[in-house]
Amino acid sequence: MGAPVHNLASRVKGSVTEVTADSKRHGRHLLSNTIFKYYFLFSILALCFVLGLVIIFIGKTALLLFGHISPADFFLSFNWTPEDEAFGAAAFIVNTLSLTAITLLIAVPISVGMAVLCAEIAPVWMKTFIRPVLDLLVGIPSIVYGYLGLTVLLPFLRQISGQSLGDGLLAAALVLALMVLPTICRISDDAIVSVPRKYRDAAYALGSTRLQVIMRVVLPAASRGIISAVILGMTRAVGETMAVVMVIGNTPQLAKTLFTPTSVLTSNIVMQISNVEFDSTWNYALHMMAFLLLIISFVLILIIRILGRKRRDAA
Amino acid sequence: MKIFKKFTATALTAIIVVTASFAGIAAAADSVKGKITVNGSTALLPLTLQAAKEFQKLHPKVKIAASGKGSVTGPQAVKKGIADIGACDWDASMDVPGFKAFDGQVANKVAVIPFATIVNKNVAVDNLTTEQLQGIFSGKTTNWKEVGGADADIVVITRAFGSGTRVNYQAKALAGGDITKKSKNYKETGSSGDMKTAVATTPNSIGYIDLVYVSGGDIKAVKFNGVAASTDNVINGSYKIWAYGYYMTKGQPTGVTKQFIDYVQSKKFQQGSLKKLKFIPIAAMK
Amino acid sequence: MNGFSRTKYTARAQRNNRLATIGFYTLGALVMLLIFWMLFTILSKGLPSLRPDFLIKNTEEMDAGGGIGPVLFNSFYILFISLLISIPLGIGAGIYMAEYAPDNKFTGGLRICVEALSSVPSIVFGLLGLAIFAEYFDVGLTILGGGVSLALLNLPMLARVTEEAIRAVPGEIREAGYALGMTKFHVIRTVVVPVALPAIVTGVCLVAGRAFGESAVIILTAGLSTSGEMWDFNLFSPGETLAVHLWYVQSEAIVEDAKQIADKSAAVLVFVVLLINFAFRFPLWLGNRRRGR
Repeated sequence: MGAPVHNLASRVKGSVTEVTADSKRHGRHLLSNTIFKYYFLFSILALCFVLGLVIIFIGKTALLLFGHISPADFFLSFNWTPEDEAFGAAAFIVNTLSLTAITLLIAVPISVGMAVLCAEIAPVWMKTFIRPVLDLLVGIPSIVYGYLGLTVLLPFLRQISGQSLGDGLLAAALVLALMVLPTICRISDDAIVSVPRKYRDAAYALGSTRLQVIMRVVLPAASRGIISAVILGMTRAVGETMAVVMVIGNTPQLAKTLFTPTSVLTSNIVMQISNVEFDSTWNYALHMMAFLLLIISFVLILIIRILGRKRRDAA
Repeated sequence: MKIFKKFTATALTAIIVVTASFAGIAAAADSVKGKITVNGSTALLPLTLQAAKEFQKLHPKVKIAASGKGSVTGPQAVKKGIADIGACDWDASMDVPGFKAFDGQVANKVAVIPFATIVNKNVAVDNLTTEQLQGIFSGKTTNWKEVGGADADIVVITRAFGSGTRVNYQAKALAGGDITKKSKNYKETGSSGDMKTAVATTPNSIGYIDLVYVSGGDIKAVKFNGVAASTDNVINGSYKIWAYGYYMTKGQPTGVTKQFIDYVQSKKFQQGSLKKLKFIPIAAMK
Repeated sequence: MNGFSRTKYTARAQRNNRLATIGFYTLGALVMLLIFWMLFTILSKGLPSLRPDFLIKNTEEMDAGGGIGPVLFNSFYILFISLLISIPLGIGAGIYMAEYAPDNKFTGGLRICVEALSSVPSIVFGLLGLAIFAEYFDVGLTILGGGVSLALLNLPMLARVTEEAIRAVPGEIREAGYALGMTKFHVIRTVVVPVALPAIVTGVCLVAGRAFGESAVIILTAGLSTSGEMWDFNLFSPGETLAVHLWYVQSEAIVEDAKQIADKSAAVLVFVVLLINFAFRFPLWLGNRRRGR
């Protein structure tokens, strides 16, 4: 990390002797400084534009819904029977929240543990082996996960639970946990690696064991990065579709047990959005569900951030 | 002088190239060219892709883009003007349960699609009547022993509401009967492939699918009211679960779109590739 | 630790430490085992029957023995277009958020919006792309539409990963740069980005891998057909990709060897993702070696 700075220092020291060349270069630097400042500004504006585009695109259609049914019917009713004009999304909302919670409960400890192993404990050869393998997991298309879930995980769950179907929250959460594992793990890994060496040295110098260094120094110091890793993983879990539809059962009812065939916001959107007419209440309701997903993850992110900040302040 | 000569040569070549390309365009104008976008039913997609391939070979200036997501997407895309042909598993110019007619669209028959009731290989039942199917799919019959099988829960696997397969199956096999939604042994799948995999891997399950996909040892087609699901039985009229596949167009098809539909309906394609793809030619039905 | 007296506390701490180390290794071994079992299941079905001509032959609807030539090409082409758009913009936006943006409520809100955006199902981006390209610009289902829609999908994630990577660079390194009288951009280019590069590359790899396997967006914007020619660089050709083809073969295709094609396509997909990772990381690894790290 120190190397580039050192190089620069020597380069700058060398150029002080040649005054004209230096001022010319300085002018060039000022110019590029201005140009790129505007370029970065342009990029963020482009990003905002995309953001606005998506929100408007979804929101525009979504808000038409409340011209047809009342918000209370949509948010509080558990009855989703679009054929009979009943558009109650409460069951999907509850299911989405429980699915996300179960997924994170499984995925976060495993992923952060793997990240710690990669960043702090494992010898170099093992790190260079584990990291690319984890990256590979990201690239497996979600339909392949779904297919494996359908053909391997479901029969297995059927066997150990005695259910005749096996679809439900547990199956979906297990598939999702595996899918978000690399995202959470790799980003936490990077966060842990970038914790300055001196923190660890100081803690070791005080006679801490490695576990103590990890738990009390490294993880708190890397908490910002780990939290964004969890958030990125969570949003992927909330938004993942193709794999979930294959193992969740797609039945619009509240998941009372881990094995009730059920449906979440995303799976319902994906199963139905291509089968509805553009100008129907049903289509508006589906867009409202997509909009709701945005809001739900917005709120979840806020909660995680606030919790994270509290923990960091406490530490 | 030399430079001048070079210049003339270049100019001449340029003129020749330009005229040639103009001539090329003029020549192309005589033959069939254009762009066709097909959207809609995934069940008809293999047929569309094969026809597109053959048609493009005959008329290299034609570009055909095909996609599919769901039957109703077809006529909708035509209505919005983002597709020239909307593939649909039912006649979308008329009302069907759940979907209103698309006004001003013309349904062009392109194929006959047979459907079959399928069960997992562990199910002993090999014949189901309309009443029995109505009982099973509406959720009233929940155990295989009620329809002459072993003592085991029935797992119902179905397609999402709006799927062309579901619309046709409900109309023909269940005689308009309901398909339940809230049961602990009920699952919806998103495509024919998923349906096949789900029934193949779930013991005691029942579902329905295009007859084309019935293969392999893990699923088997059951008889409907005593008649086996087969192409011959569809043609001779004894097996009732089948439907036409349609290409929806905005008004009567014109230009290259018409030529493409004509090609799909031609005897050459219907008796050749279409049969090979295991659809039934429309001419076979009386 | 010989010089210290072992109190009960340190003994317990060391025992916990050992147990935890064992625990971490066990966890690692289990996860690796699971991943390898998965990779084995995917690859063992596809690779043994994979012949080179499968990679270049055209797809077939009717006869067995179809290949994946044009769809594989489209996959790379669309990925390339989407990265061409999303990498400069995503990294630019990430740098802006980390270095230039004022630290106020608006920036915070924007950050959460960007994060929340990745929970929108990709099919919604597909519908957006359909509305933009097929309806507004009326170009139909094209490679260009697919590439741009995919870029829209990737942009937020890329921006966030870059921002995190840049923020993780210790402040004192920047200050050292400023102290030498460097301009802000000069510090970013020569000091901050090189330090953050490994993390940025990780982000790009994650995004590229995900984009390569994405199907819902492509089905809606680039279609399920190809022009049937290899090396068709026309941006306005229909552009079915390998992931889409895999979905199609698994869901609806009726050729008799659909199952084998699906297995082989899945194996090729996983292989290509490995390749992408390697292509992005190798220069980085080489650079690290040259710098003697």
